[in-house]
Amino acid sequence: MFQKKICLLGPSGVGKTSLVKQFVEGIFSEKYLTTIGVKIDKKLVDLAVDQVQLMIWDLEGIDRYCGFQPKYLRGASAYAIVTDHTRSQSLVEAMEIHRMVREVSDIPAILIINKSDLDVAWHWTESELNGYSKEFIRSFSTSAKTGDQVEEMFKFIAQLTLN
Amino acid sequence: MQQSLIQALGIINCAILKRVKDGQFQVIHCSQDWFYSIAPEAIDRERFEFAGHSAYLDDFFIDAEEFWQTGKEGQIHSGIWSEQSKDKLLRLEALAAISDGESYLVINNLEGEYQKQQQTLQAARELLISNDKVLAQHEYIHERLDQVLRENQTLQSLQKPIQRVIENADFGVVITDAQLNVITQNPNSYTVFETSDLPLEVSPFEKLMELFKNQCAEFERVIGTSSRWHGELFWHNPPYSSKWLKLALYPVTDENQNLQHWIFIFSDVSRVKYLLQRNEKLNLYDNVTNLPNRQFFWQKLEYQIEKAKAFFIVYLDVKHFKQINELHGHQAGDQILVTLAERIQQCISTTDLCARVGGNEFGIILTDCKEQNDCIEVANRLIEAMEPPFYTASKQKVQIGLNLGAAHFPSDASDSEELMKFADLAMFSAKKEDKSKLCFYSKELKEASRYRLELESALKKAISDNQFELYLQPIVDLSTGKVAKAEALIRWRSADGNLTSPDKFIPIAEQTGLIVPIGKWVISRATEMLKVIMQYQPDLKISVNLSPRQVADRHLFDFVTQAINHSGVPPKNLELELTEGVLIDNYDKVKHLLDQVREIGISTSIDDFGTGYSSLSYLQKLPIDNLKIDRSFIIDLEQNENDKAIILAVIAMAHSLKLGVIAEGVENQYQADFLLENKCNIAQGYLFSRPLPLSEFCELLLAEKHSSQN
Repeated sequence: MFQKKICLLGPSGVGKTSLVKQFVEGIFSEKYLTTIGVKIDKKLVDLAVDQVQLMIWDLEGIDRYCGFQPKYLRGASAYAIVTDHTRSQSLVEAMEIHRMVREVSDIPAILIINKSDLDVAWHWTESELNGYSKEFIRSFSTSAKTGDQVEEMFKFIAQLTLN
Repeated sequence: MQQSLIQALGIINCAILKRVKDGQFQVIHCSQDWFYSIAPEAIDRERFEFAGHSAYLDDFFIDAEEFWQTGKEGQIHSGIWSEQSKDKLLRLEALAAISDGESYLVINNLEGEYQKQQQTLQAARELLISNDKVLAQHEYIHERLDQVLRENQTLQSLQKPIQRVIENADFGVVITDAQLNVITQNPNSYTVFETSDLPLEVSPFEKLMELFKNQCAEFERVIGTSSRWHGELFWHNPPYSSKWLKLALYPVTDENQNLQHWIFIFSDVSRVKYLLQRNEKLNLYDNVTNLPNRQFFWQKLEYQIEKAKAFFIVYLDVKHFKQINELHGHQAGDQILVTLAERIQQCISTTDLCARVGGNEFGIILTDCKEQNDCIEVANRLIEAMEPPFYTASKQKVQIGLNLGAAHFPSDASDSEELMKFADLAMFSAKKEDKSKLCFYSKELKEASRYRLELESALKKAISDNQFELYLQPIVDLSTGKVAKAEALIRWRSADGNLTSPDKFIPIAEQTGLIVPIGKWVISRATEMLKVIMQYQPDLKISVNLSPRQVADRHLFDFVTQAINHSGVPPKNLELELTEGVLIDNYDKVKHLLDQVREIGISTSIDDFGTGYSSLSYLQKLPIDNLKIDRSFIIDLEQNENDKAIILAVIAMAHSLKLGVIAEGVENQYQADFLLENKCNIAQGYLFSRPLPLSEFCELLLAEKHSSQN
């Protein structure tokens, strides 16, 4: 069994903590509670040939109240950038965060477009989205509320950490 | 440290460990059991080593060890983290410290503080997200509507998806014509004002305009000058409800810069306000810059007026901020505003107040400024403070200019609304300048502003009524005395037959953007004239002046190409003239444009050379063909040795860079002889000919042709 560290980054309010909660505990709460600092959760992921103990670092949303802290990425094997498809600005901010991470690390990255249970309310066209997605190994459309694609996404990251 | 002393000092909810040697610790103080859930190995042990129960703490040890190795007094923090113990979620922060040569690890339990901090951040972040959503919706619908309305003059052709967006938008949209007659109001505009479209009801738009007029000092200026505006209005509808509305209004102009429509977009932002009110600080402070907000500013202004002591208010507007936002994105724009706010605060005293009163507008109350000179000093400091470049997160350099308008209490006005209105008017006057400038309010300024509006509307009429004429001033080869080329110069003959000097109307046209359609007309007319002239002299060039605003127009090259194709004249017969200032201010854009025109064979000249900031490196790097020596050096040539020296230097520079050189404003034979002697053999001026209408210019060419044949 391997133990691997992964980081969830993104603007505030996109649902990073909810994704972890759904994945680790299988629960979802409608109430938004902002994260301060870091919370680490662990979960054993069964892959076809191996098991990976994921250490998921859920990082405080990066915005004008909290800057990007490169030290949190130390030792990480992959990271995910989370956005919210009800908010156009969240993708702009996510790409800025991705750019900052890329300045200090070249570990694999995936893009998570969260809140797929809600109607799309951003104005990005398919081609714009594809353009952004190209910078990641893969993108997932997830719902922390319904659990849609959450398990698949974390499994994919777990697999990624072994490659 | 004694347990009792620690308790007496109030350091109660923490664990203090002494680092005995590498990786080994001794518990000095541990108030509660929570510590043992992250370090059970410490239970009943005098000395212990952490066994890796906390991944976060293990990670922090990398930094902590490095710090302890230095042996320097001080401390480093881990940042806050959450750790799940058996029965509760711990909120912790660790610090590594060195004191009196000893190394310590302190782990604080932040339970209470975390909650307080979370509440504040929660409100602030909910606010950010709500604001984001409102702004994104406004921006999106504005961009799409602007595009559609520019392309189609009627609303009949509104594309279906946009119609649907407007119909279903959860914010109000009103579109009017240029005279503010409503063309359409979407269903939500009725919902916002809790009204219906029954004939007896006051329409949402009327209510909106009433609020805008009563609550915003900028109202007259915004409507009168067709400017963009966004801000907040308060709608009180006793006894039922009251709402905060966020309003954005945008003028839509056609390609001749004539106002065609207004778009009003407004949302109920009471929820955002409610979130603000949950936190007193956020209620009166702007959440981007942390400066006081508009409400705070008005309160302070009223208070200052009550004190009945003289002071100045300054209205500060960031030049071309819209372009900064468009070019670098809103997040970068916000970051620039934060830095700008910091720089402003360093220029004013602690008793003054600076507030963010609009998107890119700031209000400053200078309580200690009694005289104009004091105010000028502050303004100079502000202008200087903006000179160092600003940088976006992606390290893009941004240069900021300021429009500053000032009004004095009590000599200009004695109530807050008038004061703001006058400072705003003065600021608008400062906008005319390319560089940062302070303008004071005065009665003359008000008069000038009225004159400017009249001239602007007359200019618009001149464009639609085709009142411009293009004259040609011959440019002569001094060695042969023959016409080598011609400069196209615009004249405005109004309906009553009077000619208005270009010096008077070109600056207004430049400020209002009317120069773009006027400039296009000049280019079209010049190419048409070329077609005629080429029948007399096929190789003759006409040069056309380009203004800074035209150069900034990204469609310019396409238009020039179109005009050439349409008239069928060869591109090599056209020359474009730019001033030095345009080169410096828009270097990248100019380089791109000049490369494009060079590629199709159009030549270029630098006009008024020697009056601006001349950089040899620019001249070397840009594809330029000629330098034109400014007339101001030619006029006093006979008397002024300095001017002679400058002319000789420009000629030498042009020759060494293999550029042509043309003298402007030659009025007497002495000047012409001097130029010819010193190898500047192309010139223009009244000595040879004033600017001529096309027919007279053709006659001149014909006469030349005949004389050479004889």
